[in-house]
Amino acid sequence: MLGAEARQRTDAELVRDSLAGSEAAFGEIVRRYQDLLYRHAERMSGGADDAEDIVQTALIKAHRNLAGCQNPSRVGAWLFRITANACKDHLKGRRRNRLSLDDVPSLETGVGDPGEALDLKGIRARIDLALRRLPFEHREAFVMKHVEGLSYQEMGELLGVSVPALKMRVHRARDGLQELLEDLK
Amino acid sequence: MSEIDQRIQAYLDGELRLQDLPLGLRQKAEEWDRLLGEVSRSAPAGAPVGFESRVLGAIRESRSSSGAQGPDSSARRPAWLDWAVRPRSVRVSPIAALGLAAALALVVLRPWTGTGTGLEMDPGVPAGSVYVQFVVQADGAESVHLAGDFSEWQPAIELSDPDGDGVWSGRVPLEPGVHEYMFVIDGSEWISDPNAAVSRDDGFGRQNSLLAVTEISGT
Repeated sequence: MLGAEARQRTDAELVRDSLAGSEAAFGEIVRRYQDLLYRHAERMSGGADDAEDIVQTALIKAHRNLAGCQNPSRVGAWLFRITANACKDHLKGRRRNRLSLDDVPSLETGVGDPGEALDLKGIRARIDLALRRLPFEHREAFVMKHVEGLSYQEMGELLGVSVPALKMRVHRARDGLQELLEDLK
Repeated sequence: MSEIDQRIQAYLDGELRLQDLPLGLRQKAEEWDRLLGEVSRSAPAGAPVGFESRVLGAIRESRSSSGAQGPDSSARRPAWLDWAVRPRSVRVSPIAALGLAAALALVVLRPWTGTGTGLEMDPGVPAGSVYVQFVVQADGAESVHLAGDFSEWQPAIELSDPDGDGVWSGRVPLEPGVHEYMFVIDGSEWISDPNAAVSRDDGFGRQNSLLAVTEISGT
């Protein structure tokens, strides 16, 4: 019996138990997918505070509409789509965050260890800034590919978009990133 | 926009090795490797400590403040029952219905008469509803449920196999129109109807079975 209880419950079982009123079951679903959802939201929104709001809102909505999850064994993909849409709504609903170049450390700053650290910080800040300027779908595909490390196949399953279309979006994102990073030098 | 050489794109997609690239492109490819490595290393760590508790707390608060019902209460009353008794009008073009009837799997037993069905029909069921018999072979299954757009995709409609031969069936009152559905084996395995003539991608890598129901009059 202990073995059966200790067995990790499937997503479908957790959805079924959540629908029957088990808060613990929904909590397990949250634990299972929160890191993936949070990373995506933080990279897409550009901030941890925004990410917490986005993912929390998405999960409340998911809980309320859990009966509409067509395939409970793939609840993770369903949650991801809700979160991705929440990111889109969030970005639409706020004025585009335009960082000033004055806020971004120069690429040529300093030599030696402290300078290298600052230089690294500068590179990351410039990448962030460039990413924010990409069209939403290009940025989404780029983040999934290069930040979350997903394969095109996995991305397709999560977004419901074909692999060739996703590949095209990532290529366009890299093209755009190259141009933007050139401009930011 | 300056486009990256397609061979570098292929390399970054893992379709070419560095040594497959011409010498002139390797340095650029390595620059991209460094850049993307930096992107990857700067990835956020994930959800902060206590995030799950905050989400569950927010759900409790949301439910208590809005008076909205969570999934637990909706599960107590089968959604298909709500669906069945909710008044609505269904408009089906006769031409479209004829076309669909020819193209799709059509399973219409008879119009609802209210007797001999094993289901208690609510008087509010719209006129024109018909019983549809769903049948699936599921040897060794302990339970089989039906889920579809007519049940808000809740696997709330239980099929039965009284003689234990692995053939599970059940009748469901449906309004005229095109419906999508799947069977759920043992509460977790979602399968398409192997006998359905037409199916549609559900967006999650599986196929929803399609069924067309047309109204039968004069019986």
